[in-house]
Amino acid sequence: MAKRLILIVFITLSVCSLCAAAQTGLDSLDFHLDEVEVTARALTKDVIVPQTLKGAELQRMNALSVADALRYFSGVQLKDYGGVGGIKTINVRSMGSQHTAVYYNGVQLGNAQNGQVDLGRFSLDNMEEIQLYNGQKSDIFQSAREFGAAGNVYLATRKPYFREGEKVHVHGQMRFGSFALANPNIGADVRLTDRLSLTMDAEYVYSNGRYPFRYRRVLPSGETAYDTTAVRQNGDINAVRAELGLHHYYRTTGFWRIHAYNYWSNRGIPGAIVNNVWRNGERLQDRNTFVQAQWQDEWFGRWSTRLLAKYANDFTHYWNYDERLLPSNNQYLQQEVYVSLANKVQIFQWWDAALAYDYQYNTLNRLNLLLDDGAESFQRHSHWLSAATAFNIKEYLRLQASVLMTAVDQHTPRVTPGVFFSVRPFAMHHSSLKDLSINAFYKQSYRFPTFNDLYYTDLGNADLRPELARQHSVELDYRIQQSAFSIQASVSYYYNRVTDKIIAYPKGQQFRWTMLNLGEVKINGVDAKADVSLHLPLRFVLRTRLNYTYQTAIDVTNPNDTYYRHQIPYIPRHSGSVVVGLDWQSRRGDHYGLNYSFIYVGERYSQQENTIYNYVQPWYTHDINVYGEWGISTAKQPVWIKANIELNNMLGQDYEVIQNYPMPKQNVRCTLALRY
Amino acid sequence: MHTRAKILISVFCILYSVFLLSCRGDEVVYPTIGTHVTDEVREGGLFVLCEGNMGSNKARLDYINLHTGEYYANWYGSQNPRQMKELGDVGNDLQQYGNRLYAVINCSHKVEVMDLQARHIGQVEIPNCRYMAFRGDKMYVSAYVGSVATPELLGSVFEVDTATLEITREVKVGHQPDELCIIDDKLYVANSGGYLTNRYDSTLSVIDLASMTELGKITVGLNPTRVRTDDQKHLWVCCQGNYGAVQPCIVILDPQKEIHRLAIPCANIAMWGSTAYVIDNEQHKLHAVSTIDFEELHQPVDISAYEHPYGLLATNDALYITDAKNYVSSGVLHCYGYDGKEHWSALTGDIPGHLCRVSGVYSLYPDTARKDTAAYSPYISRVYEYKPAVGQFVNVLPKYEEGDDAEAMCRKCEQAIANNAGGMICLGGWGGYVTFGFDHAVQNNDGYDIQILGNAFLMSGNEAYGSSEPGIVLVSRDENNNGKPDDIWYELKGSEYDNPTTQHHITKTYTRQSDTIRNPFHQQPYYPQWIEEESITFTGSLLAPLTENISGQNVQRILDYGYADNKPNADKQGTSFDISWAVDADGNSISLPCVDFIRIYTAVDEHNEITGELSTEITGAIDLHLINN
Repeated sequence: MAKRLILIVFITLSVCSLCAAAQTGLDSLDFHLDEVEVTARALTKDVIVPQTLKGAELQRMNALSVADALRYFSGVQLKDYGGVGGIKTINVRSMGSQHTAVYYNGVQLGNAQNGQVDLGRFSLDNMEEIQLYNGQKSDIFQSAREFGAAGNVYLATRKPYFREGEKVHVHGQMRFGSFALANPNIGADVRLTDRLSLTMDAEYVYSNGRYPFRYRRVLPSGETAYDTTAVRQNGDINAVRAELGLHHYYRTTGFWRIHAYNYWSNRGIPGAIVNNVWRNGERLQDRNTFVQAQWQDEWFGRWSTRLLAKYANDFTHYWNYDERLLPSNNQYLQQEVYVSLANKVQIFQWWDAALAYDYQYNTLNRLNLLLDDGAESFQRHSHWLSAATAFNIKEYLRLQASVLMTAVDQHTPRVTPGVFFSVRPFAMHHSSLKDLSINAFYKQSYRFPTFNDLYYTDLGNADLRPELARQHSVELDYRIQQSAFSIQASVSYYYNRVTDKIIAYPKGQQFRWTMLNLGEVKINGVDAKADVSLHLPLRFVLRTRLNYTYQTAIDVTNPNDTYYRHQIPYIPRHSGSVVVGLDWQSRRGDHYGLNYSFIYVGERYSQQENTIYNYVQPWYTHDINVYGEWGISTAKQPVWIKANIELNNMLGQDYEVIQNYPMPKQNVRCTLALRY
Repeated sequence: MHTRAKILISVFCILYSVFLLSCRGDEVVYPTIGTHVTDEVREGGLFVLCEGNMGSNKARLDYINLHTGEYYANWYGSQNPRQMKELGDVGNDLQQYGNRLYAVINCSHKVEVMDLQARHIGQVEIPNCRYMAFRGDKMYVSAYVGSVATPELLGSVFEVDTATLEITREVKVGHQPDELCIIDDKLYVANSGGYLTNRYDSTLSVIDLASMTELGKITVGLNPTRVRTDDQKHLWVCCQGNYGAVQPCIVILDPQKEIHRLAIPCANIAMWGSTAYVIDNEQHKLHAVSTIDFEELHQPVDISAYEHPYGLLATNDALYITDAKNYVSSGVLHCYGYDGKEHWSALTGDIPGHLCRVSGVYSLYPDTARKDTAAYSPYISRVYEYKPAVGQFVNVLPKYEEGDDAEAMCRKCEQAIANNAGGMICLGGWGGYVTFGFDHAVQNNDGYDIQILGNAFLMSGNEAYGSSEPGIVLVSRDENNNGKPDDIWYELKGSEYDNPTTQHHITKTYTRQSDTIRNPFHQQPYYPQWIEEESITFTGSLLAPLTENISGQNVQRILDYGYADNKPNADKQGTSFDISWAVDADGNSISLPCVDFIRIYTAVDEHNEITGELSTEITGAIDLHLINN
């Protein structure tokens, strides 16, 4: 019944938008290329400004992948299994990585199998902007599914930008580094017509992953108990990424674009270092392919429509021929079809409303090549229907409310609300407090069980309910921009509660696990961050970015548990980062810079019980990089050459983010890039 | 100082201390933490192997000292702090054999070999090893993979020499072999096929130990994981079924054919006496089943409140059952009496799966552990009682001095004969005895176990005669675990036991007053002076007189076997004893796995004028298992 209802809504919406399209003429607003800000009205802006890293700042980071960059956001915990090929996932405000959705150019990256996106696979080289939204993107004009997750990471790739008369941009880059890292990248943007352009980007990554690591423990007397240095084995990676984008801005308000993405990798899974085991034999080969299309336009100056469509095809081949283990050889094929239609109407200047519907179809085929049991396949239909509204009272108050209905297969449809507001008490004063705002939100979100949760032979449980996260957050945000300096600072307090948490739990029989809705977690946290830029004499600019997070995330499932009210695994109470960068620009426009970053993750526990046997030491790394960028004028366009040397984990700390997965000691990366 | 400067300095100090606190220090080895869990006093100890989850490297060996009631988490850690990455990843089996403790660490692909205080001796590298069985000087280890991979994914059983810790032979068995046990000369291995969902194995492989070849397979039931033997030499096989339509059960076989089937899902099983204790982890019940008629007995312990009953051990005086909770946090070890009463419980590591009670005496107080790294001493280390009957060497060997009490005399005996000191003590006339022990329990392995040294010698030219002053040897287990030799004694049946001239259950009393005879060489009192009572009474067996006059010499007929101080020490076989000879008071054979105490008393009541009474002399004793090694 629910499905039919949703279908009707979808058709109705489509018809409306088509009619609207037929009746409108051209609008004449600024020519904006930004996917978000197609129109420049205040209302479409975010109620709560996200944490952002973009452009030059992103390039200055000691970071190779998106995961590395996300470490500099507050409230984020990164799980990193080490090395270029090691899996890297993030967990926002302790709600679990499956509550975090990752969007690639506006469309969610999916993994119906286990619900996690490995952010280590997304290179920074083609990235223009990374944004992290707690709760949700507080712009109501979005696809229905975007209202669904508890934390959202938006990745936006480089968009073509041509100056008058420019037809082609080309860039090439070579990066070398420790552990035989070789990482060439080439790309080109071509202006096919005035409004139609093509972007291409390709990258290859190789690393042998053979980094040294060290385990040392001392006796209570201080005498060394053991001290062993070994080299990580089976951590090699070969990966190729190729992307193609076609952008057509046919009107100031209307555009469509198509993006094709292909990633292929072959890597070793180095595995846990445990007593008597220095090498593991698991291998992983995968190919992720997707094509996504987006069309967006606006009519009457008040009606906006966006249509998204995506097809993804992900193939994974996992095998293990470690002679000491039972061999395994499995293949998985996941497919996803996704369509979304979003409409927004501006009822009054101060009042918007939006309605969106998304549909997704997922399949998973699993094949055990050793047992030849035949393929198993699972599928799922998901529907999202959202309604949202936003209004503002001049500049003082912005308010948004949304409600989302999610229907996934046999699960009872769930309805989740979200309310966001922002107050700027001094908005109309032209004082330095103009940009002081108090933001708050309340949001509920469900994480639906993944295929693994539901169907895995030794794990699955088809009766699972979705996991519910409830977030409450208050934030004080202050910004000021002067010619000599700019400051952005905020402090937020949040209280989250995750109930019906899906956890693996042993079933009656030995060695048999099942997934159950057993867990309950209470999270209290404070995020504080400040970005300060100082324009110094002699064209020096000093930039600092400070982040600090305090979190208690305690298990409140059952008072009889030995871990009742203990901090949940791998959530540090304290974590933070400091980035200090000094930039200098010569008169002719060359750039030189020095960047230092420090990341700190406090003590935490590897298991539910906070005992000394599960204690994991804090870790902190000091990274530094030096770069220079030189422009060489040619007849038509300037050629830019950029060189960058990074030194990571300068003091060579032997640390683990995840227990028994050692991280690399000191390592170096050198990049030479050419841009035309 | 300026106020602002003060503030700045304080702020700096606070920040600096926060920084120090939040810094990484040296990683200190995981500590051993002792917790007092019971005031109950028993002897010996119990090892608990906590499996830990795969990849966590959290296999943990805990120890409870049953004498002090102290539970030591991570006991292995304190004994072996220098072991790189501790005990390892996923403990899967724990057993004591002889004077060693063996632990299978599944995902570290090794069998860890320790002494009975859990000090590392060595390790045997076996890929994906699962369970162990022992026989003679060999250990048999099942493993999910063999040394050469087969396309059928067959497992193997490895034979390991316990002396050298080298793999000697290997035999291929079925899919994913789990437990194994030995009856007579055959090894039975449960082929679970547990990794092959929907195509579990259902057989036991039968291995001939002599040739180390598979004789064949016995079909039992789907997914057999555990196989144990009981006192009736039955095989009990726990089949887990397919977690679907095929229900789990226990199949009981005599080694040839199935004789009974119990519809009990069996997570774990333990034997004690004629009872099999079975954990039913579906209904959370502990079943007790007779090994004779397979009738279910009363349920000894209520475990319905357990989250996941898991490990099980039945001993003479207690049932130990563990609750693995949610498998990813601390489990609980419960100790019950056979009356069903819970005596105590203790928090363990993750997944307490394997329990091993170690018997023996003070060797098992790790607190008083010797500091050297050698294994146990092969020589006796302690004399518990010295109570000679009246005799010419009494108060001389060892020497009594004014003020010595029984305890002091024991210490003097220790100085003379313990730790291979080479001295001698005399037991006096018939019935006089000494009780001693080693720093460990002597295992009853195949063949001889103990050698007892005396001062017998053979007549030159006629080796049927010589100087024999035979002593009868008794052995005892510390059944009540109190560390004292107050348990049942069993006689080691010598060659004269069934001789009609041998009199059993004889009692004789010596009094201080009757101690009047003196020979010219020994004029000291013959009655043990440290004994305050006016009389001492002995009971035991009395052999017929042995002295004969051969070629003008008073010599004794040398007995065939089974007596101390009967044959010269150089005759190793003639001075050695097999614990398997033990009989009870009625002469019934008794099977003892090991013994804690040894007593020797003079077996004859003979006196001749020149050499005085025949009295057994002891100069030491040796645990042959340790000397051979």
